[in-house]
Amino acid sequence: METKSIKGKIQLGALLLPGLAIFLVFTMYPMLRLFWVSFREWTLSSMVNQPFIGLGNYIAVSTDRTFWTVFVNSLVYTLVTVPGQMMLGLFVAVLINNIKRLQVTFRVVYYLPVITSWVIASLVFRYVFNTEGLLNYLLTRVLHVSGANIRWLDSRWSGLTVAMVLGIWKGVGWNMVIFLAALQQVSADLYEAAEMDGCNRWKQFIHVTLPSIRGTILFALVMLSIGGFSVFTSIKLITGGKPAHLTDTLLTWMYFKSFSTGDFGYAAALSFVMALALGILSALQFRLMKSQDAV
Amino acid sequence: MLKPKRFLLVLCLIMSVVIIVPAVHASEPVTLNFWHHYSAQSKENETLTNVLIPQFEKENPDIKVNAVSHEWAELHDKILISVSTNQLPDVMRADIAWLPEFQQLGVLVPLNKEMADFDSVAGQLLDSAMSTAKIAGDTYGLGLNTNSKILFYNTDMLNAAGVNVPTTTDEWAAAVRKLSGNNAQGQQVWGWNEPGLSGWNLAPFIWSFGGSLTNDEQTAASGHINSAETVNAIETFVSLVSEGALTGFNSGDIPMTDGFGTGRYAMMLEGPWKIAELTGAYPDVAYGTAMMPAGKGGSVSVLGGEDIAMFNSANKEAAWKFMKFMTSEFAQTQMATVGQIPVSKAALDSQTVQEQEFAPFLEAIQTAKARPTVAAWSKMDNELMVAVNAVIQGEKSAQQAMDDLAVVFDGLLKE
Repeated sequence: METKSIKGKIQLGALLLPGLAIFLVFTMYPMLRLFWVSFREWTLSSMVNQPFIGLGNYIAVSTDRTFWTVFVNSLVYTLVTVPGQMMLGLFVAVLINNIKRLQVTFRVVYYLPVITSWVIASLVFRYVFNTEGLLNYLLTRVLHVSGANIRWLDSRWSGLTVAMVLGIWKGVGWNMVIFLAALQQVSADLYEAAEMDGCNRWKQFIHVTLPSIRGTILFALVMLSIGGFSVFTSIKLITGGKPAHLTDTLLTWMYFKSFSTGDFGYAAALSFVMALALGILSALQFRLMKSQDAV
Repeated sequence: MLKPKRFLLVLCLIMSVVIIVPAVHASEPVTLNFWHHYSAQSKENETLTNVLIPQFEKENPDIKVNAVSHEWAELHDKILISVSTNQLPDVMRADIAWLPEFQQLGVLVPLNKEMADFDSVAGQLLDSAMSTAKIAGDTYGLGLNTNSKILFYNTDMLNAAGVNVPTTTDEWAAAVRKLSGNNAQGQQVWGWNEPGLSGWNLAPFIWSFGGSLTNDEQTAASGHINSAETVNAIETFVSLVSEGALTGFNSGDIPMTDGFGTGRYAMMLEGPWKIAELTGAYPDVAYGTAMMPAGKGGSVSVLGGEDIAMFNSANKEAAWKFMKFMTSEFAQTQMATVGQIPVSKAALDSQTVQEQEFAPFLEAIQTAKARPTVAAWSKMDNELMVAVNAVIQGEKSAQQAMDDLAVVFDGLLKE
């Protein structure tokens, strides 16, 4: 292929053009435009002509009590579900990696929740955890461990816990696949050497396996943290933010502010606050992994 | 050999053009775009597209109507987005709760100022329905259809408990308490279902208890949302909740229709659509209907329904013709046969309308009130929900919560 010739360059450009066009029109432009919106007063009364209000929207976000509630909710969701699904995913991956038969079967079984639709999984969880749901039926009528129905979905932390359980259940499979691929890259020689040095299975895991798949762990950590902060469907469908926005997360709150009250300026500022928080979180994670690298 | 490559190149270029160049479409000079939220599969939509629009186009051969059906929530959001991209339709059927918002956007036509025959047209429609379109002195739409909520009660449950259908707010609270407890299967049952904590849910109680949300001019709320009567309504409501006699607004609760149909909720306040829902899902449940129980303020339910309005960008002459047609006796009677409660006085008097399933609601409409027609209402509605939830959670007393809410309401009404 004569990529250095002019004809080649034209061809290259033409082939890149659709991808670039999609990226510029549907990703870059909306992002820049949203940044512009975040400095404007864009509410119902200023939908057509938006005055510049500087940091007004950012001040409104940071002084809003509900913002801090939903921010803490998103943070807790991330801090619980990310380590939760990573540890379980790694555990399952190690188990599957060490069995000789039925590897494919187990991989499929653990991966099934990943390909299940969020909407369907959320609705099923809602039915299970309803006050009149399957779990309460089991607890009160079958196992008789509770006299009255427990109101799982009706308070802040128990409602969020249901969403977190769903998040972990649904994420284990993805982690399993990622970690399984990483585990299979670890050279058998290392284990052999460790064994000769007298390492038991647990020590091998700590000193050989974990350092070898550190890159994958960082990748999963960053990706999942972004995903954790972006949780939307399950919250919207399981609790809908009830009671009184106490179970809302950053995205469901953003959706409410923009589409229920028309505060697009506030929502735009909120999205950049969220991006900033994610940026800081990712930087911390990179630094953490790097410092471990030096050890 | 080059052919597949060249084909790929051409394809890529075409794709780029399609992505970058926005579609340009030529519109015919007299096509009216009408956005509504009659469900696509509904009888209402069938009547609209097969009876009403053909009739209108026959009467006005120079106008074509392009009716587009949206989901209820989607239509609201789509209008908000279309305003900023300047792609609004000519005419829309809007939930009465949306009109003040759209008016604040500055995209609606003040009909009383711009239409010469406005007074005679408006005079043929129900005053209460027209009040929903009146914002700060001007009228931005015509009432199109109306509704309200009345009390539904499970006949068997009331008989078994020896409870009469409540006609006063005191009787109501006593009945709700008495109907609660456990049924023969040991399941919990509730005297009342209330599926939310918004104004749509709470206003009938506030009003019937003698309270109010704002002053009559809709400019201030202090002394209204925190009046003794309003606080009494909230206190009664919350005490029924804490006694386990009233539920429905929690995420984990049994949905309203299912709970009523299976005898878990004894009573509820609901609109005419519930009749069809119950007939479809629970044809065996025996139930009756009654007016909202009366208190110090009388029997006051909440007004729902839709208005028809036109946007600034519309072909105003054609749009006005269509709006007049949709509120005419003919169109209103046609829509009444598929369950839409008319606002045309002539249609309301007709035998056809009096015989419809929604007849019990016609009385409630006479005394029902509209929620405040102010743009800040959706925010106020949310604050009301948050405030009442704080009382339910025991964080604040009803008086404290309503006093705090009055300050918030006053601020929002000044915006």
